[in-house]
Amino acid sequence: MNTTTTHPDRPAAAGRRHPSVTRRLLTTELRLLGRDPMTLTFVLVFPIVSMLIIGGSFGTEAGGGFPVDPSQWYVASYFTVVIGSTGLIMLPVHIATYRERGVLRRFAAAGFPRWSFSLAMLAVGLTAIAIGGATLLAVAAPVYGVPHVDDPVRVAAGVAAASLAFVSLGVLLGTLLPTARSAQAVGLMLFFPSFLLGVGGPPPSVMSDAVREISERLPLALANQAIREPWLGLGDATGALCATVVIAIVAAGLAGRRTAL
Amino acid sequence: MNTRPESDPRDTVVTVRGLTKSYGGRTVVDDIDLDVRPGEVLGLIGANGAGKTTTVECLQGLRRPDAGHVRVLGLDPVRDADRLRQLVGSQLQSSGLPDRLRVSEAIRLFAGPDAVDADRLLEQFGLAHRRRYPFGGMSGGECQRLFLVLALLNRPRLVVLDELTQGLDPAARREVWAAVTRLRDEGTTVLLVTHELAEAEALCDRVVAMRDGRVVDQGSPAELVARHASRSTVRFSLEEEALDDVARTLQELNALPGVDQVLRHGRHVTLEGSRAVIAHAGAWLVARGLPVPDDLRVEVPDLESALLRLLDDPVVEAPHDLEGVLA
Repeated sequence: MNTTTTHPDRPAAAGRRHPSVTRRLLTTELRLLGRDPMTLTFVLVFPIVSMLIIGGSFGTEAGGGFPVDPSQWYVASYFTVVIGSTGLIMLPVHIATYRERGVLRRFAAAGFPRWSFSLAMLAVGLTAIAIGGATLLAVAAPVYGVPHVDDPVRVAAGVAAASLAFVSLGVLLGTLLPTARSAQAVGLMLFFPSFLLGVGGPPPSVMSDAVREISERLPLALANQAIREPWLGLGDATGALCATVVIAIVAAGLAGRRTAL
Repeated sequence: MNTRPESDPRDTVVTVRGLTKSYGGRTVVDDIDLDVRPGEVLGLIGANGAGKTTTVECLQGLRRPDAGHVRVLGLDPVRDADRLRQLVGSQLQSSGLPDRLRVSEAIRLFAGPDAVDADRLLEQFGLAHRRRYPFGGMSGGECQRLFLVLALLNRPRLVVLDELTQGLDPAARREVWAAVTRLRDEGTTVLLVTHELAEAEALCDRVVAMRDGRVVDQGSPAELVARHASRSTVRFSLEEEALDDVARTLQELNALPGVDQVLRHGRHVTLEGSRAVIAHAGAWLVARGLPVPDDLRVEVPDLESALLRLLDDPVVEAPHDLEGVLA
């Protein structure tokens, strides 16, 4: 068998290990994250602009359906909007676009390990949430102030479980939906009702019983309760946290089974 | 008895025996045999839907065959997929890169620990000035040349190029052909999948023609042309002098080596026969000492006419012992 290239060798840099495929993929995807208009729109701009508008719409006094200062209520709630938009819109569209354009086939043919792309997407999703969430709080701070965290451990657990759940859901949706358009349609259809009813819309007290019943059981609403309640000192939200953890485990398991590039 | 060609695995980069693949009850690849030898450019040709892409996807481990034996560089493409893909450079049909990924970033992403000097490859393929360009901003020809660079980056022992020039304008196609010609000159083993027969004729040492998932013939382009293409044709008009003694003129033309048939319609003469007709008719025209007719036309059989004839033929059984015949 002959070896087929006659290109000159490039001596390996002494003492430097070549980065693994996963690391190269992760680095590239993180770099591309900042250039993606879908990310900038739905993970950064949309939650921040919505939070600024609605956070100032109900005044700063508790009451009228709000157990705390409405602006604080919405700042805490919109942190979950970042998580939801990352998992339900950004990731599915990103992954489905890659499949539609043959990028995943190219990765597979290049011998990238089957799980490396999912791992990269997981890291990209969590990074997007971290950046989006931090930016949201940074913008909120001078305008409405950042609410005091009443139970940091439970809030951290809620954020971690919610992030893992929705990033896994995003990877799962991205691997199931065939085209970017279908991913966008399904993602928006899942996101906006959850967003309006369970997170960033009117307070539950102004909803009818039936709508409130539904809204409290939406996955994004459960994630929101698991974060917002211990953050604002409204309760420990153990039930919502447990439900979010279950969603995270199931979604991560299903996404893990769909890792074939 | 089913006699399949024997081949020494040490003499082949790819060995396929009885490969079969179906989708939803439709057989797309039907019991095919295929060998790719070291250092050759092998063309897999046929109309759209002939099963070419599915065949190479099975070779790359991107699809699992329903039946058959496949070895690429001595490895099983399904079982040894991860190892094999390090050894095969691929330019896939309908595949792309993220629009915002720059050329230099694509190189860093795909370059393994034993990658060649990417700067030199970019230089060689005319992309050195595009290092900072995003993939989405490049022309079709540049994208295909980048895919070639990526396919060659990790010192592949086999390069698979699927519909390399699809959708390219003629200038870009020529650029890409020149790149493949360089690969051939360097001794790279290339499996070229194409339905562009001019491309196969220009680039391939050997071609395998597929129809309806089966191999219908294989050999060098010249061999396929000789076996299946129509005859060479020379057409021109006779001058007044030649028409004065038309019987003698036609007799002379009919006696030229390689001529099978002479047809005359008024002043217009058509000679049909082997390729030798072209040379002898030209010599005859020059030897008369008269100007060469302005309307002299020559039609040379090519791979396209050979394949069209092959595709028009009734269903041909895949010749399992053809390899021996052609060897």
